[in-house]
Amino acid sequence: MNKRAYYGNYGGQFVAESLMDALEELDAAFEEAMSDEVFQKECSYYLKQYVGRETPLYYAEHLSREYGMKIYLKREDLNHTGAHKINNVIGQILLAKRMGKKKVIAETGAGQHGVATATGAALFDLECTVYMGEEDIKRQSLNVMRMRMLGAKVVSVRSGSNTLKDATNEAIRAWARMAEDTFYVIGSAVGPYPYPKIVKTFQSVISREAKKQILEAEGRLPDAVMACVGGGSNSIGMFAEFIAEENVKLIGVEAAGKGIETGEHAAAMALGEPGVLHGMRSYLLQECNGNIRLAHSISAGLDYPGVGPEHAYLKDSGRAIYVSATDTEAMDALLELCKHEGIIPAIESAHALAYAKKFAEQIVRRMGEEAAGEQILIVCLSGRGDKDVNTIADYLDGRGYLN
Amino acid sequence: MNRIEEKMQQLREKQEKAFITYYMAGFPDLAATKQIIKAQERGGCDVIELGVPFSDPVADGPVIQNASYRAIQNGTNLEKTFALVQQIRNEGVSVPIVFMLYYNTILHYGIPAFAQKCSETGVDGLVVPDLPYEEQEDLLRNLAESDRTILIQLVSPVSGARIKKILAHARGFVYCVSSMGVTGQGADFHQEIKTYLKNVREVSSIPIMMGFGIRASDDVIPLKNLIDGAIVGSHFIQIMEEKNFDPTVAETYCRKFKTELNN
Repeated sequence: MNKRAYYGNYGGQFVAESLMDALEELDAAFEEAMSDEVFQKECSYYLKQYVGRETPLYYAEHLSREYGMKIYLKREDLNHTGAHKINNVIGQILLAKRMGKKKVIAETGAGQHGVATATGAALFDLECTVYMGEEDIKRQSLNVMRMRMLGAKVVSVRSGSNTLKDATNEAIRAWARMAEDTFYVIGSAVGPYPYPKIVKTFQSVISREAKKQILEAEGRLPDAVMACVGGGSNSIGMFAEFIAEENVKLIGVEAAGKGIETGEHAAAMALGEPGVLHGMRSYLLQECNGNIRLAHSISAGLDYPGVGPEHAYLKDSGRAIYVSATDTEAMDALLELCKHEGIIPAIESAHALAYAKKFAEQIVRRMGEEAAGEQILIVCLSGRGDKDVNTIADYLDGRGYLN
Repeated sequence: MNRIEEKMQQLREKQEKAFITYYMAGFPDLAATKQIIKAQERGGCDVIELGVPFSDPVADGPVIQNASYRAIQNGTNLEKTFALVQQIRNEGVSVPIVFMLYYNTILHYGIPAFAQKCSETGVDGLVVPDLPYEEQEDLLRNLAESDRTILIQLVSPVSGARIKKILAHARGFVYCVSSMGVTGQGADFHQEIKTYLKNVREVSSIPIMMGFGIRASDDVIPLKNLIDGAIVGSHFIQIMEEKNFDPTVAETYCRKFKTELNN
């Protein structure tokens, strides 16, 4: 057993023998790159000049008044390509280049990671193929168009639930075939070691900035930080710098879909049990025979039956707590942010906002209005909602919101 | 000695190449699977790999994915596959049987219970495609309790320096994956296939079985001196599907391949 590959009992490298060599090569290249100042400078350069970092830590004044505590939004939606996904892609693509790989592949759910990878591939002249579930291709057609415009090939995956899980299966199969000259850019904090480590490293820029920014704005650390959890990339990035700060609550919000009790949800932490999928041991939604259950969420990016292994560890150790928000709660929160702050968030990020509202209610109940008003919460606004406008329109239509 | 090891020793004494097939349990149903297994044994198959269906077979191509999907749809699971093995053992089938399954299926059943059930029902070996050398400790420890069921080791064309440690304690045979990627891609073997097979032979005396992408004996005859046998999976399943799961077709196919391999 490779101890470095584990977070407590979670993680590991459950892949075909033909990929073990590629994972070893990747880990060595990553460690070597991270200790090289030139690589670090290159990453910083592109994050600043190309992605547009640092992103603001915006004090959401109206929302704060509405919800009853100080809410800061880490504006990952303002990144180039519209979400936090590009942070990790820049790092991994620069690593791919450094390793001499000419081709990259990626899986995508909502399409944000696919768009980010296609963008990075265009920038650095790499051949790019993105695997995407047929169902997601339908609900995220704008992102499919964007990927194609950026020169990527989008492969429609028709197996299982036709969503992120199946796209990931197909990307793993493709990588097993082409690992000798192809870099697999994993977008979430999942997969075999060293991927969860790599994704966390490149996404931790979110909390590194947020920590500095909140100290500047408030002169103290926040009481809690919150982020949505699908596979867990923006959340691990939001948590990273605060894990060692014991007084900061870490809260991950999963998708409860139509409601945890309905069975149609994506709450791997709430109702899953440890198992092995996509190269890692972690919490997974499973059927009685150990087959993986279909997840459900209105947001393609959270529609995943598992979760990154470090989250599983943070849950068991009690360092982080994991809660959930339903489709309806997320959509309500999405519209509230539009109304109060003039920001259209991604449906994924809206799950975190939905729980922020509940969380604030609890705090107000417990501490009283005045004290609650001094409590500080940072919510990671992981992406913007432009890609979701069709889904939102369908939803509103069905629910009669617009009338 | 384990049943697979006995079979390998007999083959070695007779200087005979092994023919191994892979078939998905429960495709199209368990009754048909039973007849196909018996037909393969009659046809001279040396070891039968039996796939246990899983929802996310990442090491498999479309043919096995589809067979797996259909098996799950008709209710096939690990428990029923164990029952099938028990039945055919009671009915006198003595060919070594290897389960090919994904690790989550084992974990969900519970490793100790799984190991015990393998031993009780007569499962002689396991191929777990998503359980590389580094992650095998728990399973190996539990299998060792009965010493009835062995874990078959896989190596790939890019295993390189890993081959030696993987094969240090390997038993039965080594499953040499012929090409990069998943099952059922056609006989487009890795460009370094010969060097790779020679490398395996150099570091271990264990019998070498080559699988992935093999359809007919012609595919492996050029490599005959470097291997001790061949494994056919996707292509065999495809034939069964095309021929309406006719057991006599299975028997004929196995007999033909085995004979040609040993001409």
